[in-house]
Amino acid sequence: MANDMFPPHKRAMPELGRRGFLVSMCAAGAMFGFPRRAHAAMNPEAPDGLPIEAAGERYEPAIWYWIDSAGKVNVNIIRAEMGQHVGTSIARILADELGANWDDVHIDHVDTDPKWGLMVTGGSWSVWQSWPVYRQAGAAGRIALTETAARLWGIHPAKITVENGIVSGGGHQAGFGDLVAKGITRSFTADEMKTLPLKPHGELKLLGKELQALDIRTKTTGQTIYGIDAKAEGMVHAAPILPPTRYGCTITAIDDSAAKSVKGYQRTLKIDDQSGTVPGWAMVVADNLWAAHKAAKLVKISYDIKGNAQQVGEAEIQAENQRLIEDPATGAVLDTGNTDVDPVFAKAADTFAATYTTQTVLHFQLEPLNALAFQNQDGVWEIHTGNQWQSLCLPWLQKALGVDEDKVIMRTYMLGGGFGRRLNGDYTVPVALASQMLGGKPVKMVMMRPDDVRFDSVRPPTMSRLKMAFDSNKQVIAMDTAVASGWPTKVMLPAFMPKGVNGQPYDPFASDGVDHWYDVGAQRARAISNELAESTFRPGWLRSVSPGWINFAVESFMDEAARHAGKDPLQFRLDHFTAAGRNAGSAPNAVGGATRQAAVLKRVAELSGYGQSAPPADTAIGLATTYGQSRSMPTWVGGAVQVHVDRMTGYVAVQKIWLVVDCGTVVDPAGARAQIEGGAMWGVSMALYEGTEFKNGQVTDTNLDSYTPLRMIDAPEVVIELVESTEVPTGLGEPGTTVVAPAIANAIFAAVGVRMRHLPITPEALLSALQTAPKRGQV
Amino acid sequence: MIEFTINGRQVSLEAEPDSSLLWAIRDEAGLTGTKFGCGEGLCGACTVHIGGRPTRSCITLMKDVAGADITTIEGLDPQGEHPVQVAWRDLQVPQCGYCQSGQIMTAAALLKDIPNPTDKDIDAVMTGNLCRCMTYNRIRAAIHLAAAAMRGTSANG
Amino acid sequence: MLKSIFYGLAAAVIIVICGFSIYAWHSSLPALSSSARPQFDAATIEHGRILTAAGYCETCHTENGGGAPFAGNYKMATPFGTIYASNITPDPETGIGLWSLTAFRRAMHEGVDREGRNLFPVFPYDHFTKLSDPDVDAIYAYIMTDVAPVHEVTKQPEFPFPLNQRILQAAWKLLFFHEGRFAPDPAKSAEWNRGAYLAEGISHCGACHTPRNALGAEEPGKLYAGAVIDSWTAPPLTSANPSGVPWTVAAFSNYLKTGSDIYHAAATGPMGPVVHAGITQLPDSDIAAIATYFGAIVNAPESDPAQNPAVLASIQAGQPEPDYRKDLGERLYTSACASCHYNPSPTGIKTERPDLGINSSVRLDDPSNLIHAILDGVPAADGTHGVAMPAFRTALDDSQIAAIAQYVRTTQAGLPPWQNLETTVKSVRDHVGTH
Repeated sequence: MANDMFPPHKRAMPELGRRGFLVSMCAAGAMFGFPRRAHAAMNPEAPDGLPIEAAGERYEPAIWYWIDSAGKVNVNIIRAEMGQHVGTSIARILADELGANWDDVHIDHVDTDPKWGLMVTGGSWSVWQSWPVYRQAGAAGRIALTETAARLWGIHPAKITVENGIVSGGGHQAGFGDLVAKGITRSFTADEMKTLPLKPHGELKLLGKELQALDIRTKTTGQTIYGIDAKAEGMVHAAPILPPTRYGCTITAIDDSAAKSVKGYQRTLKIDDQSGTVPGWAMVVADNLWAAHKAAKLVKISYDIKGNAQQVGEAEIQAENQRLIEDPATGAVLDTGNTDVDPVFAKAADTFAATYTTQTVLHFQLEPLNALAFQNQDGVWEIHTGNQWQSLCLPWLQKALGVDEDKVIMRTYMLGGGFGRRLNGDYTVPVALASQMLGGKPVKMVMMRPDDVRFDSVRPPTMSRLKMAFDSNKQVIAMDTAVASGWPTKVMLPAFMPKGVNGQPYDPFASDGVDHWYDVGAQRARAISNELAESTFRPGWLRSVSPGWINFAVESFMDEAARHAGKDPLQFRLDHFTAAGRNAGSAPNAVGGATRQAAVLKRVAELSGYGQSAPPADTAIGLATTYGQSRSMPTWVGGAVQVHVDRMTGYVAVQKIWLVVDCGTVVDPAGARAQIEGGAMWGVSMALYEGTEFKNGQVTDTNLDSYTPLRMIDAPEVVIELVESTEVPTGLGEPGTTVVAPAIANAIFAAVGVRMRHLPITPEALLSALQTAPKRGQV
Repeated sequence: MIEFTINGRQVSLEAEPDSSLLWAIRDEAGLTGTKFGCGEGLCGACTVHIGGRPTRSCITLMKDVAGADITTIEGLDPQGEHPVQVAWRDLQVPQCGYCQSGQIMTAAALLKDIPNPTDKDIDAVMTGNLCRCMTYNRIRAAIHLAAAAMRGTSANG
Repeated sequence: MLKSIFYGLAAAVIIVICGFSIYAWHSSLPALSSSARPQFDAATIEHGRILTAAGYCETCHTENGGGAPFAGNYKMATPFGTIYASNITPDPETGIGLWSLTAFRRAMHEGVDREGRNLFPVFPYDHFTKLSDPDVDAIYAYIMTDVAPVHEVTKQPEFPFPLNQRILQAAWKLLFFHEGRFAPDPAKSAEWNRGAYLAEGISHCGACHTPRNALGAEEPGKLYAGAVIDSWTAPPLTSANPSGVPWTVAAFSNYLKTGSDIYHAAATGPMGPVVHAGITQLPDSDIAAIATYFGAIVNAPESDPAQNPAVLASIQAGQPEPDYRKDLGERLYTSACASCHYNPSPTGIKTERPDLGINSSVRLDDPSNLIHAILDGVPAADGTHGVAMPAFRTALDDSQIAAIAQYVRTTQAGLPPWQNLETTVKSVRDHVGTH
């Protein structure tokens, strides 16, 4: 990952622009809602969403925060809040280093502005990326306060302490505000920032402390403001009409005669999108949401459809995955050290192979896609929505609207679920265009759930084929892996794709996981893009991305390979965590390498009681271990899942999950546990309860009547142990997901002797496998 | 025009008789704490109290609530200090928070009906409320915590 | 010889026709302008208001979907065709404003209007004939004093020939109508008799709850045996009622006073206004009397509902199961219904958490009532007043509704599955009702 994501530091404190005009509610509706926020960023702690205003003088040691004369510390957060409490985590990192009183700290989820640099929330990156930057920023403030007090009191800076919002030394004392009020001009260059002395771990007071996240309260009172809650004076409502296929459709005729009978219907717009984001879309405009959606059902549209997406279903996509994998010339070969596996396989005494597949998975974030767009009085297009990657979709908006960068701004709202769907901001484009067609009038689109699902950027159907070569002593001498799927990054941000050793680009989010930390001798990892998938729909980044489905393959395979070689699955893994060579790890992000992965695996086996006592019939514990999302930022996870299989019904009861997680420094313990547990439950859901299929170019399940994610009654007990560590904090949004599916599959095998290689594992499939399986005792 | 009471106040809203109560609450009355998730009564994000009973407002028709007494999350407690809300904060239940208005409204009614619920009771009543962030275990714990507080006993109930 | 037989027969036929015509013909009664009408005292008018409510006159004599009260044109589909209830406001031209008390009594007691035409028995004069003169007079007083006159022409009935010939109604009367005031049964209590008087008279329960023969008359041997009304089922009010917990006097009383009963049902559909616009207007003693009357007909032994096997079985079957996805109906029920319908124990059942295993709609042979509730919910004005059930019409398709209904039927009620259920769901969904 690039380290230059953050803008070069400015010497002087920049003048923040005047905040825009008030976005007020419709007068009639203002009865007893809360007073509406002025747009320009979002403070989730405030019932009206308004960031705090500075009192009196303001000191801004770095772009990331200011301190005012009342001693309040306002931290600017460029990350989207979608339940990770990222603003609180980042603010406490800064506050800790600064020495602030946590009660004085507030956050501001900022709107887009070039000065912030790259704005993205995903990849489980936020805390990891923010850690050095906000610590440096906090240190800068601490130093500036120290030096100011030292001058004021005529004492040496070394005699001054900054703690809990108070600066003291030599018998003197002052609050942050007192010093700011006197005027602080100390500034720091980018180079200076990087070398500021940071507090040793032991001196960090807020770290690991239980604090209530700043967004919690409003989430218990209905006051949190999500994109779907956005309003603007005089806004109209638009309901989308999606074309029959994601790509290739052009509208040839629109007949709205029946829609005209709907009270409140205004008109139907044919969206002409120069950015190519939403080909074939129409938007039905009405006075209110109900009328818009009612009218949309009555509008008849004819299309010219190019391409054969309508003939493409799940089977065709998987068949293409298979064809691609079987063709040795396809794909990018990742740098896994010695990739020359073919001669090793040719000489091997024995080989073992298995193929794993996963079905299409929906994001189904509970807040359906929505956006509000208008042109403000400065001629700037404002997009009001929750979004995870503003930097990605701003260029699409600029292209669609035909305007320059300074003419589009995205206003920040809270997200009712991201999970990667809102990384792809395609849903903003048609709303902006509809507004433009109406002369800049505010247009609000809320998608009904079936449309949200049809417009989802799904986790595509995937296939992973793994092969292992053994010598005559049953030692592993090579491993060859090929993974195929639709690549989201190729479709949406091809420039982001690195190149493999064979010069071919690859999507890290469609290949991470394949480059594991086991020592397997020669190792080839091939990542292949499925263009049939990419032309039928827009694949997306979905919580845990490829580590989710690739680790289902890898960790199931390690179990299978171990048994094939007559080894215990736990010991087999530990034996291959030699931490030698490239698997030794590196500073600062992967210190310890495979030793840390081995440690979490050992610990989770111990914690869960794996292998200790004979479990009841048809019950077993399965293990799995992963390195989270990426070799460059590993979160070491050991997982154990105990299941019971009902042989008569095929029902898999997930009785308990244990997770041992080494994420380096734990910044926010409550948030960490919440993310890990939520991720683990996603893992259970995708392993057993979620999965749809493409048919005729569209997904077949469009709502909860047939798409069945995990519910309260499905929720297993989850035990989480966080490894104590002072290493850099790595990500937690996704790693919990990555171990669960393979651990379940491994547990099922241990329990009833059948190996499930497809997700979701359904009772029908399990029963079928049980019927054809060899009897227990046979291999 | 359809007349009813929301959070103790009489309202008269312009709405088609067959239209959804949820959108009247959100867009006409301006109370956006109640959320839209699926539109078919299967996620519970739209849960309000009608006559004190938890009801999925997305599929409740306006014509069916004429004269009724409706409470939304904003009206559950004037200060947001209902024992369920307090427990939700004590255990930091919410993640993205989008489902939590519906969860809290359902849980508050659950505890009125079943003051000392078992885990099975919680499964039965709360499974209709989907949480995509999967905060279920904390929801369950918070219900037990709130139940104990409402019964006036210790948290180890 | 043949000639005399022929003439004899002809004479007999002529005599019968003449006799019938004499029977069928009614004179036109003189018009009475409102100024000539007597004044009525407040007590009589109030008494009339209560009786008018108890007979749900306004419900049937007001246009569907909301028209001027009592101004008629309520559209009712019958097996014989569509008919529109008449305007019974005191409007002189289009209502009954010119009717004398005598004319009103004749209509209520004999089914004949002021001009002498026979009324179609869709108007339940076969029940109102039992009303005492003072009660009929009180209703007249209320209508003439407190109901606003509205000028609205009543639409003609859409019956095919010859059913639209009112003179044939006389034939119907000859066959099926027994004119006459209510005669108390000396062997029964005063309370029972009061209940019988109200139920058989003004509240005309049998008009919906007694099945009718091919000519549309209530079948005498099947009093309260249950009937289909406009795609809803009016359940039997006898011991043949399939309720899990018996309908006792207390259950009837509770149901009629509040619109629902904890172990039985909620009054909605056509029964909604019967309770909330009707019976609840009666004094408690009258409601108790009606409950006594029906309680005696059902004649259920006293029992503890909390020990009732149907209740116990329903509670047990309603416990949530982690493998709920195994059956479509179970999965949908667990995700959409259990939240409101689950009860933790036999003693913990609440009226506001209607237990479906013992609910009337699940236990009837005809699934229509349950299907209606799932499709269109229960308005706050019906059932338990102020409480609403949402409507799944747009949320679930026919196969899904059928799956849920079959699930509660077979597992919670423990009764045999309904046959052709999905077809029935579709037909109920497509039905455009008049109630």
